[in-house]
Amino acid sequence: MKTRVGIIALVSVLFLAAVAVVGESMRAEWQHPLPVESKSVQAFSTPIESGVFSRAPRALAYVQSEKNQGNRTLKQYYSRRAYTGAPPVIPHEIFDEKGFGGKGCLACHAEGEFVPKLKAYAPVTPHPEWTNCKQCHVAKEIVAPFRPTSFIAEKAPAIGGAALPGSPPPIPHTLAMRNNCLACHAGPSAPKEIRTTHPSRVNCRQCHAATEEGKQQPGFVDDWRLTQ
Amino acid sequence: MPTHRRDAIKQLITGAAITAAEAMFPGISFGAASKVEANLPGVDWKKTPCRFCGTGCGLLVGIKENRAVAVKGDPASPVNQGLACVKGYHSIMALYGSDRLKTALVRKNGRLTPVPMKEALDLVAAKMKQTIKDHGKDAVSIYGSGQWTIPDGYVASKLFKGCIGTNNVEGNARLCMSSAVTGFMTSFGLDEPMGCYDDIDHANTFILWGNNMAEMHPVLFSRMLDRRLKNSDIKIIDLATRSTRTSIASDRSILFKPGADLAIANAICHEILRNGWENRDFLEKNVSFHTGKTNIGYGTEDNFKFEEKAETIDLAKYKAMLADYTPEKAELISGVSANDIRYLASLYGDPRRKVVSYWCMGFNQHVRGTWINNLVYNIHLLLGKISTPGNSPFSLTGQPSACGTVREVGTLTNRLPHGEVTNEHDREMAAEIWGVPVENISAKPTFHTVEMFRAMDRGQIKFMWIQVTNPMVTMPKLKRYRDAAKKESSFIVVSDVYPTPTTEVADVVLPSAMWIEREGMFGNSERRTQHFEQMLQPPGEAMSDTWQLIEVARRLGYEKQFPWKYENHIQEIWREYGKFQAGPRHNMATYEELKRNPGVMWPYVNGKETKWRFNKKYDPATAGYNPKGRDDWNFYGKPDKRAWIWFRPYEPPAESPDKEYPFWLNTGRVVEHWHTGSMTRRISVLHQAMPNAYAELHPDDAKTLGVKNGGKVKLTSRRGSLVLPVAIDKRGRPPRGMVFVPFFDENLLINELTLDAFCPISKQPDYKKCAVRVELA
Repeated sequence: MKTRVGIIALVSVLFLAAVAVVGESMRAEWQHPLPVESKSVQAFSTPIESGVFSRAPRALAYVQSEKNQGNRTLKQYYSRRAYTGAPPVIPHEIFDEKGFGGKGCLACHAEGEFVPKLKAYAPVTPHPEWTNCKQCHVAKEIVAPFRPTSFIAEKAPAIGGAALPGSPPPIPHTLAMRNNCLACHAGPSAPKEIRTTHPSRVNCRQCHAATEEGKQQPGFVDDWRLTQ
Repeated sequence: MPTHRRDAIKQLITGAAITAAEAMFPGISFGAASKVEANLPGVDWKKTPCRFCGTGCGLLVGIKENRAVAVKGDPASPVNQGLACVKGYHSIMALYGSDRLKTALVRKNGRLTPVPMKEALDLVAAKMKQTIKDHGKDAVSIYGSGQWTIPDGYVASKLFKGCIGTNNVEGNARLCMSSAVTGFMTSFGLDEPMGCYDDIDHANTFILWGNNMAEMHPVLFSRMLDRRLKNSDIKIIDLATRSTRTSIASDRSILFKPGADLAIANAICHEILRNGWENRDFLEKNVSFHTGKTNIGYGTEDNFKFEEKAETIDLAKYKAMLADYTPEKAELISGVSANDIRYLASLYGDPRRKVVSYWCMGFNQHVRGTWINNLVYNIHLLLGKISTPGNSPFSLTGQPSACGTVREVGTLTNRLPHGEVTNEHDREMAAEIWGVPVENISAKPTFHTVEMFRAMDRGQIKFMWIQVTNPMVTMPKLKRYRDAAKKESSFIVVSDVYPTPTTEVADVVLPSAMWIEREGMFGNSERRTQHFEQMLQPPGEAMSDTWQLIEVARRLGYEKQFPWKYENHIQEIWREYGKFQAGPRHNMATYEELKRNPGVMWPYVNGKETKWRFNKKYDPATAGYNPKGRDDWNFYGKPDKRAWIWFRPYEPPAESPDKEYPFWLNTGRVVEHWHTGSMTRRISVLHQAMPNAYAELHPDDAKTLGVKNGGKVKLTSRRGSLVLPVAIDKRGRPPRGMVFVPFFDENLLINELTLDAFCPISKQPDYKKCAVRVELA
């Protein structure tokens, strides 16, 4: 019994000493903060491949679930967006106005499972790491506009566009916030017209190159996270 | 398009190829490729700061054939690094409301009637001349905005303060940021934050004071969340009077009673000192202690005056004065448990924690707004956690150029582009740069915003030119000021892009060029100046606010002071304005540098931005002052080269709930709408998401009232009443006994009910605290 108390006491003393030493060293660091390298913004950079493979583990499931695919169309896909590249609106009832990421939207939109309540497959977000979803995606509570508008949206990019017969079509859109190809191009909630026939070939950009549109981006939002 | 024929040939060839390919590889469809087309062909991407909030996100706007067609976040902007929010992504749609003002309107027989722009400008100038002749120069006024570009504010100040010689120049930033300004001035002697957004990447503790960042500064909030995702020791604490999205996303949500932030901040300081966590070395070298007047009033009466009387004290005296703010005593005032207050103090005091405090309207729209700004600086100063990477008390700004224009150019009654009207040297400098006799510039400040509208009601102000703002939605105690504007004695000129409740009271409406339809600069919260070029032709006769002012100035005979050619007037104005800010404390980047970069932070000296002011490692203005033992810091804004810690007590709000009016009324914003919604409501996506204002109630209060979601309640204050639909557990949840209403809706004007009490030091009204009755409607 005595030894046990002794050991406990010894461990406690050592622990407290360690806390004091570590704390003091932290304190010293705090008083003399390290100079921070200024992060220069590069005017041009190549697209970073982050995100491309983040859904790769599901590829096999996509192949197997081919029979069980939803019937969302590209027309529906674009009808949610004010212009090509705009964040889509939320076309359904919002279940929790204040909800964030994992507890809110991502419950369905991370994996794209069938949602019985809405009788639909939930589209998969290509950027689940941004959890303040309603910062960009808002509901559609009413249909009527406040005042009519004369805004004209550009036509959506055409699909296909291969340079040679049979060659793989290039990527016709920017990759900002949409780096993860399989999120929109595979699985039951992908619009039929842009659903890939070969989801198991996960290295998409091996064959599908960014177009001028993609290259014009001097960097990508995703760079930010990698450079931190 | 010159490529039409080539495209056609290409399509023909591809079409043939597809047919061949499909024959060769049966079962594989190549059909879609028949619509070969480059993505958004002919779209030119140009950089601009976002039109909306003070975050100052960099956007790339896609322009095609004099139309804005798309937006993306500018990855090169250090502010948002490629991300935007729903307002930013859809911002260009605000240019295209079908009721854009395209011609000037003049009120004839009670009706606004279209007239040529030239005629309207002639009338404005003639009316000004006549008013000055009949009633003196202080009978004319201009009321601008934190959405004014820097050139707009600069020419307004030059015309009114320099040429006409009246200090009747105010901006709506008075309603939005002036407590932040007086907070900075009283604590540091210089306006605007010492740190910058880079602090997000270095801090591990974020304390949000009355600030729903998830909706109001979503891009910065997302940067914070992103940092937390990758670092397990990041803590976000939401201190607020109501639960919001921000509370949900935070690690800890603490609710306090309205106005009790004063007591909480003092109790945190009390705990820091009681535990000996203060940084003695920093305090001895860099801080001095002061007290000011107490029981300072609320400004609800006309001609209210306040003059501060500061007294210097020492740390011991300061500590003794804090004796009233033990966590237990603060708990009684604030409703926050003493343990939670100790927890907050321990987060601030923990030497391993780098702390950023964020606040915005919760602090600024506060009858003790200046005090609460001072108090949060006190916390950071006691610990020396200031102006180093990651340690930052940071005042967030509401409007895109509240800092750049209203605060830096100084479009407030007491300010000049450099310094104060009361300062002889500052007046001399302005007179020299402006090319006017120094006697022209009045040494006496006239009216702050609320008092300016009161002066109009009293008949002292006969002429008001309102640009880029919508006071007939935003003024507190609205009825009085709307009645004032409608008086026969008030001649109102409004420059805007859409019809609003303010154009309804106007005698002349001038159509303005909006945002990227003209060239300009904005200055954001982190001292970053951002340039945007003219990308589009404005519709009809719409003209930039800058050029409207220049046109009128010339008609008033000030050709010499406004000599610029249209082609390069923004460049010339920038060059002239730059003279005011020259020197290491506020040097601005050149026009060429602004055009090249996605924003440049001042002080910009020898090609280098200053990220942390007052810190000798970073700030060029600290050079040359190096007494013994003060080698790290120089708080050069104050005469004693020290930052000032102020003892500021808790004092109650101007109006608190009572038997007759038992609810708090709290007003604010939502993520979808920008201020009064005159732009964002014309963006279909945003209007459809948030079509009208609502009264947010606690579910128990709703139950007691017997009202369900969407049911109607009538709110009544001593000033007015309004019927609103109820929202229960939608966007937020107020505590019991509070109702929250957003102010964007021009059809449901909540400011009919609010009180025009203001902080006696900053003169900024408190939109967050007044008393109402809630009944079934």
